[in-house]
Amino acid sequence: MKSPREFVPSGFLVYLGWGNLAIIVIQKTENLLSAKSGSATAERAEQVKKPSQRLTKEDCLEIFKQLYLARYFDVRLIKEKKRGRLRGTLYSSHNQEAVLVGSLFGLKPTDWISPIHRDMPAFFMKDFRFDIDNPDRLGMSIEEVCAQVWGKEGSPGRARDNWSHIGSKSKRIIHSTSMLAGTIPVAAGVAYADRMQGGDAVVLTYNGEGSTAQGIFHEAVNYAAVHKLPVITIVENNQWAYGTPVDQECPTPDVADRAKGYGIPGLIADGQDVFDVYDKVMEAVEYARAGNGPAIVECKTFRAYGHGDHDDDRAMKYRPSEEIEKGRRRDPIAVCRQTLIDLGYLTGDAKTMYMAEGKNAGDATNDDFPPEVVDFLNKGIEFAMNSPMPAAEEAEKWVFWNGGQA
Amino acid sequence: MSATTEAPAALKKNYLTALKEALDEEMARNKMMLCQGEDIGRLGGAFGVTEGLQAKYGEDRVVDMPISEAAIVGSAVGMALNGMTVMAEMQFIDFISCGFDQIVNMMATYHYRTAGEVHIPVVVRGPAGAYGGGALYHSQMNEAWFCNAPGLKVVCPSTPYDAKGMLKAALRDGNPVIFYEIKELYRKREIEEELPTEDYIVPLGKAAIRREGKDVTLVSYGQNVYHCLDAAVELEKLGISAEVIDIRSLVPLDEDTIFNSIAKTSRVIVVNEAPMTCGFAGELIARISQKAFHLLDAPPSRVTRMDTPVPWVKPLELHVLPTIDKIVAEAVRIYRF
Repeated sequence: MKSPREFVPSGFLVYLGWGNLAIIVIQKTENLLSAKSGSATAERAEQVKKPSQRLTKEDCLEIFKQLYLARYFDVRLIKEKKRGRLRGTLYSSHNQEAVLVGSLFGLKPTDWISPIHRDMPAFFMKDFRFDIDNPDRLGMSIEEVCAQVWGKEGSPGRARDNWSHIGSKSKRIIHSTSMLAGTIPVAAGVAYADRMQGGDAVVLTYNGEGSTAQGIFHEAVNYAAVHKLPVITIVENNQWAYGTPVDQECPTPDVADRAKGYGIPGLIADGQDVFDVYDKVMEAVEYARAGNGPAIVECKTFRAYGHGDHDDDRAMKYRPSEEIEKGRRRDPIAVCRQTLIDLGYLTGDAKTMYMAEGKNAGDATNDDFPPEVVDFLNKGIEFAMNSPMPAAEEAEKWVFWNGGQA
Repeated sequence: MSATTEAPAALKKNYLTALKEALDEEMARNKMMLCQGEDIGRLGGAFGVTEGLQAKYGEDRVVDMPISEAAIVGSAVGMALNGMTVMAEMQFIDFISCGFDQIVNMMATYHYRTAGEVHIPVVVRGPAGAYGGGALYHSQMNEAWFCNAPGLKVVCPSTPYDAKGMLKAALRDGNPVIFYEIKELYRKREIEEELPTEDYIVPLGKAAIRREGKDVTLVSYGQNVYHCLDAAVELEKLGISAEVIDIRSLVPLDEDTIFNSIAKTSRVIVVNEAPMTCGFAGELIARISQKAFHLLDAPPSRVTRMDTPVPWVKPLELHVLPTIDKIVAEAVRIYRF
């Protein structure tokens, strides 16, 4: 049997791995279609298979920029943390940005998302395609997110819970917790309530592959499947749950295989290829929005650093250095860049502008990112720095709701 | 109290009917309310509390759930987050442990961690309590687990009037409420009472004085209230006048009613069928000791379950649980202190 670690996207093994993966993906796609409709035409099948073919050049370039935004947020936070300016633990999303950008890009403003600790960029990237600076978009602002990171009053949760546990009901972002997979039943409830209210929202939940070992993962996906709720469980399979490799977490080569037990589609995406993530997630989203029920989308990726920044040094020991090197080699920004060059969307100097890919966070500089990306985050950081700390007595507030009384 | 009211038998209603009426009326009143639990629809619930509701309100609003307490309470949080009020039934309150994480880490904390943006109107209710031979897994009073989780309200009515009024109050409260029903009281004829025909609630956080007395205060809730009342009758024969307080609501707690009673009697016993160690009786005694020590003529005392699981057969069960005899003996002891 193939070791799941051979799916680590690099080198010759990876070539074999992705070759096999392509077959799996096709099988899964067929399953998905047959589950959806017995009479799908070939034309329809082609359309469902490749939503990214519907993206315009502008969309593709926007996606490329969003990868930079996610990367820059991570790079900058790592630097800020190293300078001792931040409290708490940083869970780097480095090398996993394509999962976030690819999955978020196809959503409608009315959809809900439920990111976890490693998905910090998702909080402000929701609805980015509807203009970064649009104050009415249903994503959180960079100011809110940075205020949360800095633990300031201007954050939506007023710095009660740590920076990775934010969310916003009004922005339709379910609050993250440390209880892994624990937001999937909440997402299912959100979807159920939305359906009762006549909505067509899809709810995307993000989970590490380690989360799929939790009982609540099964209970929630089972419940969603029974009620055909539009909940997409995205599994960011980054090969490591803290210090435990995936073959010690999951008994099947693909986490997506768990879907079979619920009679729902289990798709596999190349988590380093933003367009493949977009395709697979959109397939699942369209399937769910049409009333067919939930799906699992496993995105094969690789965690660039430790579980958290406290773990970076130890991670070098429990993970062989050649594995780290291999895992990082297929950088999602580089993969996207190559696609855009192949499509003719990047030409001339643009082909080699802003080369953040393949660099450690410590080695990347502002020159490796588009200036508007740097400016965007600077705005957020400036707001956070200028926002006061919450008053100490606030710690006693909001244990109970008092009917909206002050 | 209820057993002595004079309404014609036909108009009197039992504890279970009171709960059912509360759910029915709240479902009718609040179109955004939903009930979910195991076997609550087609079957009408293991005890029949939800009987007829699915036929009346449909499968979407009275939902038969998979056997998954975690999904029942976890999805209720999501529904509440998205504008709904949810009654989540635990088939037996013992099974709530399977949904524990979602209740204490998600449901209880949501309002706090969002600094008030979100509130979670969910009532988790279920049959609780011993004295019926339910054995280890169908007899527990595990309320202390939830009193220890800030953000949850915890209540336990003992009469049909309170069962209906408090369930309605809980469903309108806006906070997550853990609602302990006493299954041995569901169909108990002796406690049936006439209920108002008009809408009413019993506010959470207010205790009730079930019997006036001047020598010793017996503080309790749930089924033990009746043991205290019976003990008071026995104590009367011994010349000891007992006041019986039914706190009804553990969180929030009506301390004033307890302290005012102790000011009168200067002696207090807390009676609680949960195990002694870290049970709610200990919390009450700690508060009384801290805030009402000056009112006491004897050490505050408690009669609780022994620190054992609840055994099955009757002699074993009664051996570990509070009984009238145990309450009387303890009251005599502290009366003579």
